[in-house]
Amino acid sequence: MRHRGLDRDGIAPYLFLAPLLVLLAAFILYPVIMNLIASFTEWKGYGAMKWTGLSNYRAMVSDQAFWTSISNTAILVCYIPLSTIITVFVAALLREGIRGWQAYRAILYIPNLLGPVIIGVVFSIYLRDDGSLNLLIKWAGGSTVRFLSSPSIAINSIGLVQVVWVHLGFGLIYFLAAMNGIDQSIYEAALIDGAGYFQTLWRVTVPSIRFAIEFWVVFSFIEVFARMFSYIYTLTRGGPGYGTFTLEYGIFVQGFEKFRVGYSSAWSAVLFIFCAVISVMQIRLMRRRNS
Amino acid sequence: MKKASSINVGTRLIVQLFLLVLVIGSLLPLYNVIAASLKSVDEFVANPFFPPRSPISGNFVYAALSSHLLRYAVNSLILVPIGLVLYLAVCVSAGYAFGKMRFRLKRPLFLLVLFLTIFPQLLLAIQVFKLISLLHLTSTGLGVILTWVAYFSPFGTYIMTTYFTDMPYELVEAARIDGASPLRILVQVMTPLAMPMIATVAIIGFQSMWNELPFSLLILQNPAARTLTLGIAMMRGEYGLAVPTLSAALVIAMAVPLVMFLIFQRRITLGATAGAIKG
Repeated sequence: MRHRGLDRDGIAPYLFLAPLLVLLAAFILYPVIMNLIASFTEWKGYGAMKWTGLSNYRAMVSDQAFWTSISNTAILVCYIPLSTIITVFVAALLREGIRGWQAYRAILYIPNLLGPVIIGVVFSIYLRDDGSLNLLIKWAGGSTVRFLSSPSIAINSIGLVQVVWVHLGFGLIYFLAAMNGIDQSIYEAALIDGAGYFQTLWRVTVPSIRFAIEFWVVFSFIEVFARMFSYIYTLTRGGPGYGTFTLEYGIFVQGFEKFRVGYSSAWSAVLFIFCAVISVMQIRLMRRRNS
Repeated sequence: MKKASSINVGTRLIVQLFLLVLVIGSLLPLYNVIAASLKSVDEFVANPFFPPRSPISGNFVYAALSSHLLRYAVNSLILVPIGLVLYLAVCVSAGYAFGKMRFRLKRPLFLLVLFLTIFPQLLLAIQVFKLISLLHLTSTGLGVILTWVAYFSPFGTYIMTTYFTDMPYELVEAARIDGASPLRILVQVMTPLAMPMIATVAIIGFQSMWNELPFSLLILQNPAARTLTLGIAMMRGEYGLAVPTLSAALVIAMAVPLVMFLIFQRRITLGATAGAIKG
Protein backbone atom coordinates (compact mmCIF):
# COMPACT_ATOMS: atom_id res chain seq x y z
CA MET A 1 0.00 0.00 0.00
CA ARG A 2 2.66 2.47 1.01
CA HIS A 3 4.67 2.23 -2.17
CA ARG A 4 2.02 2.70 -4.76
CA GLY A 5 3.95 5.51 -6.42
CA LEU A 6 5.53 8.77 -5.49
CA ASP A 7 2.58 10.94 -6.34
CA ARG A 8 -0.09 8.82 -4.79
CA ASP A 9 -1.72 11.73 -3.00
CA GLY A 10 -1.94 13.87 -6.12
CA ILE A 11 -2.30 17.60 -5.65
CA ALA A 12 -3.53 17.50 -2.02
CA PRO A 13 -0.09 17.68 -0.33
CA TYR A 14 0.82 20.74 -2.36
CA LEU A 15 -2.40 22.42 -1.28
CA PHE A 16 -1.64 21.58 2.35
CA LEU A 17 1.83 23.04 1.93
CA ALA A 18 0.74 26.10 -0.01
CA PRO A 19 0.32 28.51 2.93
CA LEU A 20 3.73 27.60 4.33
CA LEU A 21 5.49 27.75 0.98
CA VAL A 22 3.94 31.07 -0.03
CA LEU A 23 4.93 32.65 3.30
CA LEU A 24 8.45 31.21 3.14
CA ALA A 25 8.94 32.37 -0.42
CA ALA A 26 7.78 35.91 0.37
CA PHE A 27 9.28 36.43 3.83
CA ILE A 28 12.45 34.33 3.88
CA LEU A 29 13.59 33.14 0.45
CA TYR A 30 12.91 36.38 -1.41
CA PRO A 31 14.59 38.55 1.27
CA VAL A 32 17.69 36.33 1.31
CA ILE A 33 18.06 36.51 -2.47
CA MET A 34 17.29 40.23 -2.68
CA ASN A 35 19.87 40.88 0.03
CA LEU A 36 22.49 39.13 -1.99
CA ILE A 37 21.67 41.27 -5.03
CA ALA A 38 21.51 44.47 -2.97
CA SER A 39 24.97 43.76 -1.56
CA PHE A 40 26.46 44.61 -4.96
CA THR A 41 24.66 47.95 -5.17
CA GLU A 42 24.51 51.33 -3.57
CA TRP A 43 20.98 51.66 -2.26
CA LYS A 44 19.23 53.68 0.43
CA GLY A 45 16.37 51.21 0.77
CA TYR A 46 14.19 53.23 -1.60
CA GLY A 47 14.69 54.61 -5.10
CA ALA A 48 16.96 53.05 -7.68
CA MET A 49 19.75 50.59 -6.94
CA LYS A 50 23.12 51.58 -8.37
CA TRP A 51 25.32 48.65 -9.30
CA THR A 52 28.70 49.06 -7.66
CA GLY A 53 30.18 45.58 -7.92
CA LEU A 54 32.32 44.58 -4.98
CA SER A 55 32.75 48.04 -3.49
CA ASN A 56 30.50 47.29 -0.48
CA TYR A 57 32.61 44.26 0.31
CA ARG A 58 35.80 46.27 -0.06
CA ALA A 59 34.41 48.92 2.30
CA MET A 60 33.37 46.20 4.72
CA VAL A 61 36.77 44.55 5.08
CA SER A 62 38.34 47.91 5.87
CA ASP A 63 35.58 48.80 8.35
CA GLN A 64 36.70 48.55 11.97
CA ALA A 65 33.13 47.93 13.10
CA PHE A 66 32.95 44.83 10.90
CA TRP A 67 36.05 43.25 12.42
CA THR A 68 34.90 44.18 15.92
CA SER A 69 31.62 42.41 15.16
CA ILE A 70 33.46 39.31 14.00
CA SER A 71 35.73 39.23 17.05
CA ASN A 72 32.78 39.87 19.37
CA THR A 73 31.00 36.90 17.85
CA ALA A 74 34.17 34.85 18.39
CA ILE A 75 34.18 35.92 22.05
CA LEU A 76 30.56 34.83 22.43
CA VAL A 77 31.43 31.50 20.79
CA CYS A 78 34.09 30.99 23.47
CA TYR A 79 31.34 30.97 26.10
CA ILE A 80 29.73 27.92 24.48
CA PRO A 81 32.17 25.35 25.98
CA LEU A 82 31.87 27.02 29.39
CA SER A 83 28.08 26.94 29.24
CA THR A 84 28.09 23.33 28.06
CA ILE A 85 30.35 22.16 30.88
CA ILE A 86 28.45 24.04 33.59
CA THR A 87 25.06 22.90 32.31
CA VAL A 88 25.97 19.22 31.97
CA PHE A 89 27.61 19.31 35.39
CA VAL A 90 24.62 20.89 37.14
CA ALA A 91 22.23 18.55 35.33
CA ALA A 92 24.27 15.57 36.52
CA LEU A 93 24.12 16.95 40.09
CA LEU A 94 20.35 17.40 39.98
CA ARG A 95 20.09 13.84 38.76
CA GLU A 96 21.61 12.49 41.96
CA GLY A 97 18.19 12.65 43.56
CA ILE A 98 18.96 15.93 45.29
CA ARG A 99 16.04 17.07 47.44
CA GLY A 100 14.04 19.68 45.57
CA TRP A 101 15.70 19.10 42.21
CA GLN A 102 12.46 19.84 40.39
CA ALA A 103 12.17 23.21 42.10
CA TYR A 104 15.76 24.08 41.18
CA ARG A 105 15.09 23.11 37.61
CA ALA A 106 11.92 25.21 37.45
CA ILE A 107 13.51 28.30 39.03
CA LEU A 108 16.56 28.19 36.80
CA TYR A 109 14.24 27.96 33.78
CA ILE A 110 12.56 31.33 34.54
CA PRO A 111 14.96 33.43 32.37
CA ASN A 112 13.94 31.41 29.31
CA LEU A 113 10.33 32.13 30.06
CA LEU A 114 10.70 35.87 30.37
CA GLY A 115 12.31 36.24 26.97
CA PRO A 116 15.31 38.24 25.76
CA VAL A 117 13.78 41.71 26.01
CA ILE A 118 12.73 41.49 29.66
CA ILE A 119 16.00 39.75 30.58
CA GLY A 120 17.99 42.37 28.69
CA VAL A 121 16.28 45.28 30.44
CA VAL A 122 16.47 43.56 33.85
CA PHE A 123 20.22 43.19 33.45
CA SER A 124 20.63 46.69 32.07
CA ILE A 125 19.48 47.80 35.54
CA TYR A 126 21.29 45.13 37.53
CA LEU A 127 24.67 45.57 35.83
CA ARG A 128 24.87 49.37 35.82
CA ASP A 129 27.99 50.96 37.26
CA ASP A 130 25.89 51.98 40.28
CA GLY A 131 23.65 48.92 40.05
CA SER A 132 23.03 46.23 42.62
CA LEU A 133 25.70 43.79 41.50
CA ASN A 134 28.38 46.46 41.81
CA LEU A 135 26.97 47.37 45.20
CA LEU A 136 27.38 43.76 46.31
CA ILE A 137 30.89 43.67 44.88
CA LYS A 138 31.76 46.82 46.77
CA TRP A 139 30.38 45.40 50.03
CA ALA A 140 32.49 42.33 49.46
CA GLY A 141 35.53 44.58 49.24
CA GLY A 142 35.94 44.72 45.46
CA SER A 143 35.96 47.71 43.17
CA THR A 144 33.37 48.68 40.57
CA VAL A 145 33.28 46.44 37.50
CA ARG A 146 32.11 48.36 34.42
CA PHE A 147 29.98 45.47 33.18
CA LEU A 148 28.20 47.40 30.46
CA SER A 149 30.15 50.64 30.17
CA SER A 150 33.55 49.25 29.24
CA PRO A 151 33.83 48.04 25.63
CA SER A 152 36.11 45.14 26.50
CA ILE A 153 33.95 43.92 29.39
CA ALA A 154 30.49 44.54 27.95
CA ILE A 155 30.63 41.78 25.33
CA ASN A 156 31.70 39.36 28.05
CA SER A 157 28.78 40.44 30.22
CA ILE A 158 26.46 39.65 27.33
CA GLY A 159 28.16 36.28 26.88
CA LEU A 160 27.73 35.42 30.55
CA VAL A 161 24.15 36.61 30.76
CA GLN A 162 22.87 35.06 27.57
CA VAL A 163 25.12 32.19 26.57
CA VAL A 164 25.70 30.91 30.10
CA TRP A 165 22.98 32.14 32.47
CA VAL A 166 19.87 32.08 30.28
CA HIS A 167 20.87 28.82 28.64
CA LEU A 168 21.47 27.05 31.92
CA GLY A 169 17.76 26.60 32.64
CA PHE A 170 16.97 25.39 29.17
CA GLY A 171 19.95 23.05 29.17
CA LEU A 172 18.98 21.50 32.51
CA ILE A 173 15.59 20.46 31.18
CA TYR A 174 17.19 19.26 27.99
CA PHE A 175 20.06 17.27 29.49
CA LEU A 176 17.96 15.84 32.32
CA ALA A 177 15.55 14.48 29.70
CA ALA A 178 18.47 13.01 27.77
CA MET A 179 20.01 11.49 30.92
CA ASN A 180 16.70 9.87 31.74
CA GLY A 181 17.20 7.61 28.77
CA ILE A 182 20.48 6.17 30.06
CA ASP A 183 20.36 2.51 31.02
CA GLN A 184 20.62 2.24 34.83
CA SER A 185 22.63 -0.98 34.76
CA ILE A 186 25.62 0.90 33.33
CA TYR A 187 25.74 2.97 36.52
CA GLU A 188 25.45 -0.03 38.74
CA ALA A 189 28.30 -1.67 36.84
CA ALA A 190 30.40 1.49 37.23
CA LEU A 191 29.63 1.56 40.97
CA ILE A 192 30.67 -2.05 41.38
CA ASP A 193 33.87 -1.31 39.47
CA GLY A 194 34.54 1.34 42.12
CA ALA A 195 34.40 4.30 39.73
CA GLY A 196 34.33 7.67 41.49
CA TYR A 197 31.79 10.40 40.84
CA PHE A 198 33.70 12.39 38.26
CA GLN A 199 34.95 9.25 36.59
CA THR A 200 31.36 8.05 36.20
CA LEU A 201 30.28 11.45 34.93
CA TRP A 202 33.04 11.57 32.33
CA ARG A 203 33.12 7.90 31.32
CA VAL A 204 29.42 7.00 31.51
CA THR A 205 27.08 9.99 31.56
CA VAL A 206 28.79 12.21 29.00
CA PRO A 207 29.27 9.52 26.31
CA SER A 208 25.67 8.37 26.82
CA ILE A 209 24.28 11.82 26.05
CA ARG A 210 26.85 12.66 23.37
CA PHE A 211 24.15 13.14 20.79
CA ALA A 212 22.25 15.58 23.01
CA ILE A 213 25.47 17.51 23.60
CA GLU A 214 26.12 17.81 19.88
CA PHE A 215 22.60 19.14 19.40
CA TRP A 216 23.10 21.56 22.24
CA VAL A 217 26.32 22.94 20.76
CA VAL A 218 24.68 23.54 17.39
CA PHE A 219 21.75 25.18 19.16
CA SER A 220 24.20 27.44 21.03
CA PHE A 221 25.84 28.47 17.76
CA ILE A 222 22.41 29.41 16.40
CA GLU A 223 21.79 31.53 19.47
CA VAL A 224 25.13 33.31 19.18
CA PHE A 225 24.93 34.03 15.46
CA ALA A 226 21.21 34.49 14.98
CA ARG A 227 19.44 35.28 18.27
CA MET A 228 21.54 37.96 19.99
CA PHE A 229 19.91 41.12 18.64
CA SER A 230 17.25 41.54 21.33
CA TYR A 231 19.80 41.16 24.13
CA ILE A 232 22.21 43.64 22.59
CA TYR A 233 19.46 46.11 21.76
CA THR A 234 18.20 46.14 25.33
CA LEU A 235 21.51 45.78 27.18
CA THR A 236 23.96 48.04 25.37
CA ARG A 237 22.54 49.22 22.02
CA GLY A 238 25.76 47.93 20.46
CA GLY A 239 27.91 50.22 22.59
CA PRO A 240 30.00 51.51 24.11
CA GLY A 241 31.39 52.48 20.74
CA TYR A 242 31.28 49.32 18.67
CA GLY A 243 31.95 47.38 21.86
CA THR A 244 29.05 44.96 21.54
CA PHE A 245 28.46 45.01 17.79
CA THR A 246 27.73 41.66 16.19
CA LEU A 247 26.88 41.03 12.52
CA GLU A 248 23.17 41.19 13.38
CA TYR A 249 23.54 44.48 15.20
CA GLY A 250 25.73 45.96 12.47
CA ILE A 251 23.11 45.16 9.85
CA PHE A 252 20.55 46.95 11.99
CA VAL A 253 22.67 50.08 12.43
CA GLN A 254 23.85 50.31 8.81
CA GLY A 255 20.47 49.47 7.31
CA PHE A 256 17.99 51.18 9.59
CA GLU A 257 19.91 53.95 11.30
CA LYS A 258 22.32 55.02 8.58
CA PHE A 259 20.17 53.94 5.63
CA ARG A 260 23.14 52.32 3.90
CA VAL A 261 21.07 49.34 2.81
CA GLY A 262 23.43 48.18 0.07
CA TYR A 263 26.33 48.22 2.49
CA SER A 264 24.41 46.47 5.26
CA SER A 265 23.47 43.79 2.72
CA ALA A 266 27.14 42.94 2.36
CA TRP A 267 27.19 42.27 6.14
CA SER A 268 24.05 40.20 5.63
CA ALA A 269 25.82 38.11 3.01
CA VAL A 270 28.55 37.24 5.52
CA LEU A 271 25.98 36.44 8.21
CA PHE A 272 24.10 34.33 5.66
CA ILE A 273 27.17 32.19 5.02
CA PHE A 274 27.73 31.55 8.73
CA CYS A 275 24.06 30.70 9.26
CA ALA A 276 23.93 28.48 6.17
CA VAL A 277 26.83 26.42 7.53
CA ILE A 278 25.18 26.13 10.96
CA SER A 279 21.87 25.25 9.33
CA VAL A 280 23.46 22.43 7.34
CA MET A 281 25.11 21.13 10.52
CA GLN A 282 21.72 21.13 12.24
CA ILE A 283 20.02 19.35 9.37
CA ARG A 284 22.66 16.63 9.43
CA LEU A 285 22.05 16.12 13.14
CA MET A 286 18.27 16.05 12.70
CA ARG A 287 18.53 13.49 9.94
CA ARG A 288 20.82 11.29 11.97
CA ARG A 289 18.38 11.50 14.83
CA ASN A 290 15.45 10.46 12.67
CA SER A 291 17.21 7.56 11.00
CA MET B 1 15.01 9.82 38.14
CA LYS B 2 16.34 7.41 40.75
CA LYS B 3 19.63 5.80 40.08
CA ALA B 4 22.38 4.20 42.07
CA SER B 5 23.83 7.26 43.75
CA SER B 6 27.56 7.59 43.93
CA ILE B 7 27.75 10.48 46.39
CA ASN B 8 27.59 10.34 50.17
CA VAL B 9 25.74 12.48 52.69
CA GLY B 10 28.52 15.02 53.21
CA THR B 11 28.90 15.65 49.50
CA ARG B 12 25.14 15.84 49.22
CA LEU B 13 25.16 18.77 51.65
CA ILE B 14 27.81 20.60 49.67
CA VAL B 15 25.83 20.03 46.47
CA GLN B 16 22.68 21.42 48.11
CA LEU B 17 24.61 24.47 49.22
CA PHE B 18 26.08 24.99 45.75
CA LEU B 19 22.65 24.72 44.12
CA LEU B 20 21.15 27.14 46.65
CA VAL B 21 23.82 29.72 45.89
CA LEU B 22 23.25 29.20 42.16
CA VAL B 23 19.50 29.69 42.49
CA ILE B 24 19.80 32.74 44.74
CA GLY B 25 22.37 34.30 42.43
CA SER B 26 20.07 33.61 39.55
CA LEU B 27 17.08 35.23 41.23
CA LEU B 28 18.93 38.33 42.45
CA PRO B 29 18.48 40.34 39.22
CA LEU B 30 14.76 39.62 39.31
CA TYR B 31 14.48 40.38 43.03
CA ASN B 32 16.33 43.64 42.34
CA VAL B 33 13.72 44.73 39.80
CA ILE B 34 10.77 43.70 41.96
CA ALA B 35 12.19 45.56 44.98
CA ALA B 36 12.92 48.67 42.90
CA SER B 37 9.38 48.69 41.50
CA LEU B 38 8.04 49.21 45.02
CA LYS B 39 10.30 52.14 45.92
CA SER B 40 9.91 55.84 45.42
CA VAL B 41 12.74 57.49 43.46
CA ASP B 42 14.10 58.99 46.69
CA GLU B 43 14.10 55.68 48.47
CA PHE B 44 15.70 53.96 45.47
CA VAL B 45 18.59 56.44 45.52
CA ALA B 46 19.09 55.97 49.27
CA ASN B 47 18.48 52.23 49.30
CA PRO B 48 19.03 50.63 45.90
CA PHE B 49 19.35 47.03 47.09
CA PHE B 50 17.42 46.09 50.21
CA PRO B 51 13.64 45.57 50.26
CA PRO B 52 11.61 48.80 50.36
CA ARG B 53 10.97 50.20 53.85
CA SER B 54 7.68 51.75 52.77
CA PRO B 55 6.44 50.00 49.61
CA ILE B 56 4.43 52.13 47.19
CA SER B 57 2.25 51.18 44.23
CA GLY B 58 2.55 54.47 42.37
CA ASN B 59 5.16 53.16 39.95
CA PHE B 60 2.76 50.55 38.65
CA VAL B 61 -0.02 53.05 38.06
CA TYR B 62 2.42 55.36 36.32
CA ALA B 63 3.93 52.62 34.15
CA ALA B 64 0.56 51.17 33.19
CA LEU B 65 -1.06 54.46 32.25
CA SER B 66 1.49 57.15 31.46
CA SER B 67 3.78 54.73 29.65
CA HIS B 68 0.86 53.18 27.78
CA LEU B 69 1.83 49.74 29.01
CA LEU B 70 -1.79 48.64 29.31
CA ARG B 71 -2.37 49.57 25.72
CA TYR B 72 0.69 47.60 24.62
CA ALA B 73 -0.47 44.61 26.64
CA VAL B 74 -3.85 44.75 24.93
CA ASN B 75 -2.10 44.93 21.54
CA SER B 76 -0.07 41.83 22.39
CA LEU B 77 -3.11 40.00 23.68
CA ILE B 78 -4.86 40.64 20.36
CA LEU B 79 -1.97 40.09 17.93
CA VAL B 80 -0.37 37.01 19.46
CA PRO B 81 -3.51 34.79 19.68
CA ILE B 82 -4.52 35.65 16.09
CA GLY B 83 -0.99 34.94 14.93
CA LEU B 84 -1.02 31.72 16.92
CA VAL B 85 -4.17 30.40 15.22
CA LEU B 86 -2.72 31.07 11.76
CA TYR B 87 0.62 29.61 12.80
CA LEU B 88 -0.98 26.39 14.03
CA ALA B 89 -3.05 26.04 10.87
CA VAL B 90 0.07 26.46 8.73
CA CYS B 91 2.24 24.11 10.81
CA VAL B 92 -0.33 21.35 11.25
CA SER B 93 -1.35 21.18 7.60
CA ALA B 94 2.25 21.37 6.34
CA GLY B 95 3.43 18.93 9.02
CA TYR B 96 0.75 16.46 8.01
CA ALA B 97 1.70 16.77 4.32
CA PHE B 98 5.36 16.13 5.11
CA GLY B 99 4.69 13.46 7.71
CA LYS B 100 2.01 11.30 6.14
CA MET B 101 1.55 12.13 2.45
CA ARG B 102 3.48 11.02 -0.62
CA PHE B 103 4.53 13.44 -3.29
CA ARG B 104 7.48 13.88 -5.55
CA LEU B 105 8.94 17.08 -4.08
CA LYS B 106 8.63 15.99 -0.46
CA ARG B 107 12.32 15.55 0.26
CA PRO B 108 13.65 18.74 -1.36
CA LEU B 109 10.82 20.86 0.07
CA PHE B 110 11.30 19.47 3.56
CA LEU B 111 15.03 20.10 3.38
CA LEU B 112 14.30 23.66 2.25
CA VAL B 113 12.01 24.20 5.25
CA LEU B 114 14.67 22.83 7.60
CA PHE B 115 17.30 25.01 5.98
CA LEU B 116 15.21 28.15 6.47
CA THR B 117 14.51 27.58 10.19
CA ILE B 118 17.37 29.47 11.72
CA PHE B 119 18.09 32.61 9.73
CA PRO B 120 18.12 35.63 12.03
CA GLN B 121 15.42 38.27 11.75
CA LEU B 122 17.96 40.96 10.95
CA LEU B 123 19.14 39.05 7.88
CA LEU B 124 15.63 39.33 6.46
CA ALA B 125 14.48 42.54 8.07
CA ILE B 126 15.31 45.10 5.40
CA GLN B 127 13.61 43.20 2.59
CA VAL B 128 10.69 42.20 4.82
CA PHE B 129 10.29 45.85 5.74
CA LYS B 130 10.24 46.77 2.03
CA LEU B 131 7.69 44.05 1.32
CA ILE B 132 5.46 45.14 4.20
CA SER B 133 5.47 48.76 3.09
CA LEU B 134 4.79 47.65 -0.49
CA LEU B 135 1.68 45.87 0.81
CA HIS B 136 0.75 49.00 2.82
CA LEU B 137 0.93 46.99 6.03
CA THR B 138 3.42 49.15 7.96
CA SER B 139 2.26 49.68 11.56
CA THR B 140 -0.61 47.23 11.11
CA GLY B 141 -1.29 44.11 13.10
CA LEU B 142 -1.68 42.08 9.92
CA GLY B 143 1.79 43.06 8.77
CA VAL B 144 3.51 41.87 11.91
CA ILE B 145 1.29 38.76 12.20
CA LEU B 146 2.11 37.61 8.66
CA THR B 147 5.80 38.14 9.30
CA TRP B 148 5.69 36.22 12.59
CA VAL B 149 3.79 33.31 11.10
CA ALA B 150 6.18 33.11 8.15
CA TYR B 151 9.25 33.37 10.35
CA PHE B 152 8.26 30.90 13.07
CA SER B 153 6.40 28.30 10.97
CA PRO B 154 9.37 26.29 9.69
CA PHE B 155 10.29 25.13 13.20
CA GLY B 156 6.69 24.35 14.16
CA THR B 157 6.30 22.48 10.88
CA TYR B 158 9.39 20.44 11.64
CA ILE B 159 8.04 19.40 15.05
CA MET B 160 4.61 18.54 13.66
CA THR B 161 6.25 16.57 10.85
CA THR B 162 8.23 14.37 13.23
CA TYR B 163 5.06 13.74 15.23
CA PHE B 164 2.91 12.83 12.22
CA THR B 165 5.68 10.65 10.81
CA ASP B 166 5.63 8.55 13.97
CA MET B 167 1.86 8.04 13.93
CA PRO B 168 0.64 4.68 12.59
CA TYR B 169 -0.12 4.74 8.90
CA GLU B 170 -3.18 2.50 9.31
CA LEU B 171 -5.18 5.46 10.66
CA VAL B 172 -4.87 7.28 7.35
CA GLU B 173 -5.53 4.13 5.34
CA ALA B 174 -8.68 3.26 7.30
CA ALA B 175 -10.11 6.74 6.82
CA ARG B 176 -9.17 6.66 3.17
CA ILE B 177 -10.98 3.36 2.63
CA ASP B 178 -14.03 4.90 4.30
CA GLY B 179 -13.92 7.45 1.52
CA ALA B 180 -12.78 10.46 3.53
CA SER B 181 -11.17 13.32 1.59
CA PRO B 182 -7.59 14.36 2.49
CA LEU B 183 -8.88 17.51 4.20
CA ARG B 184 -11.37 15.47 6.21
CA ILE B 185 -8.67 13.02 7.24
CA LEU B 186 -6.48 15.87 8.42
CA VAL B 187 -9.17 17.82 10.28
CA GLN B 188 -11.31 15.02 11.73
CA VAL B 189 -8.90 12.12 12.19
CA MET B 190 -5.31 13.29 12.48
CA THR B 191 -5.67 16.67 14.19
CA PRO B 192 -7.54 15.31 17.24
CA LEU B 193 -4.93 12.57 17.59
CA ALA B 194 -2.10 15.09 17.33
CA MET B 195 -3.53 17.37 20.03
CA PRO B 196 -0.76 16.75 22.61
CA MET B 197 1.92 17.87 20.16
CA ILE B 198 -0.22 20.70 18.81
CA ALA B 199 -0.50 22.02 22.36
CA THR B 200 3.28 21.89 22.70
CA VAL B 201 3.78 23.67 19.38
CA ALA B 202 1.20 26.26 20.47
CA ILE B 203 3.27 27.01 23.58
CA ILE B 204 6.44 27.35 21.52
CA GLY B 205 4.64 29.62 19.04
CA PHE B 206 3.13 31.74 21.78
CA GLN B 207 6.48 32.29 23.46
CA SER B 208 8.20 33.06 20.16
CA MET B 209 5.65 35.66 19.11
CA TRP B 210 5.12 37.16 22.55
CA ASN B 211 8.87 37.77 22.96
CA GLU B 212 9.63 38.79 19.38
CA LEU B 213 11.45 42.09 19.03
CA PRO B 214 13.22 42.85 15.71
CA PHE B 215 10.26 42.53 13.35
CA SER B 216 7.87 44.38 15.66
CA LEU B 217 10.48 47.09 16.13
CA LEU B 218 10.73 47.68 12.39
CA ILE B 219 7.13 47.08 11.30
CA LEU B 220 5.19 48.71 14.14
CA GLN B 221 6.44 52.27 13.66
CA ASN B 222 3.38 53.91 15.17
CA PRO B 223 3.86 54.00 18.96
CA ALA B 224 0.18 53.20 19.55
CA ALA B 225 0.61 49.88 17.72
CA ARG B 226 3.49 48.58 19.87
CA THR B 227 3.44 45.17 21.49
CA LEU B 228 4.24 44.79 25.17
CA THR B 229 7.70 43.43 24.38
CA LEU B 230 8.44 46.30 22.00
CA GLY B 231 7.08 48.83 24.49
CA ILE B 232 9.45 47.52 27.18
CA ALA B 233 12.41 47.57 24.81
CA MET B 234 11.68 51.20 23.87
CA MET B 235 11.26 52.28 27.50
CA ARG B 236 14.79 51.11 28.17
CA GLY B 237 16.14 53.88 25.95
CA GLU B 238 13.81 56.60 27.18
CA TYR B 239 15.76 59.53 28.51
CA GLY B 240 15.23 60.39 32.17
CA LEU B 241 12.95 57.45 32.92
CA ALA B 242 13.46 56.55 36.57
CA VAL B 243 14.57 53.01 37.45
CA PRO B 244 11.57 52.36 39.76
CA THR B 245 9.15 53.16 36.92
CA LEU B 246 11.03 50.98 34.47
CA SER B 247 11.12 48.23 37.07
CA ALA B 248 7.37 48.44 37.59
CA ALA B 249 6.90 48.14 33.83
CA LEU B 250 9.10 45.05 33.84
CA VAL B 251 7.17 43.45 36.67
CA ILE B 252 3.91 44.02 34.78
CA ALA B 253 5.44 42.52 31.64
CA MET B 254 6.69 39.47 33.54
CA ALA B 255 3.20 38.63 34.74
CA VAL B 256 1.94 37.02 31.55
CA PRO B 257 4.82 34.57 30.97
CA LEU B 258 4.97 33.67 34.66
CA VAL B 259 1.24 32.98 34.89
CA MET B 260 1.55 30.91 31.72
CA PHE B 261 4.33 28.92 33.36
CA LEU B 262 2.33 28.25 36.50
CA ILE B 263 -0.58 26.94 34.44
CA PHE B 264 1.28 25.03 31.73
CA GLN B 265 4.51 24.10 33.54
CA ARG B 266 4.58 20.51 32.34
CA ARG B 267 3.82 21.35 28.75
CA ILE B 268 6.34 24.19 28.67
CA THR B 269 8.98 21.83 30.01
CA LEU B 270 8.11 19.34 27.29
CA GLY B 271 8.10 22.09 24.69
CA ALA B 272 11.63 23.09 25.60
CA THR B 273 12.91 19.77 24.35
CA ALA B 274 10.41 19.08 21.58
CA GLY B 275 12.68 20.21 18.80
CA ALA B 276 15.65 18.17 19.83
CA ILE B 277 14.71 14.91 21.51
CA LYS B 278 12.59 12.23 20.01
CA GLY B 279 9.34 11.37 21.77
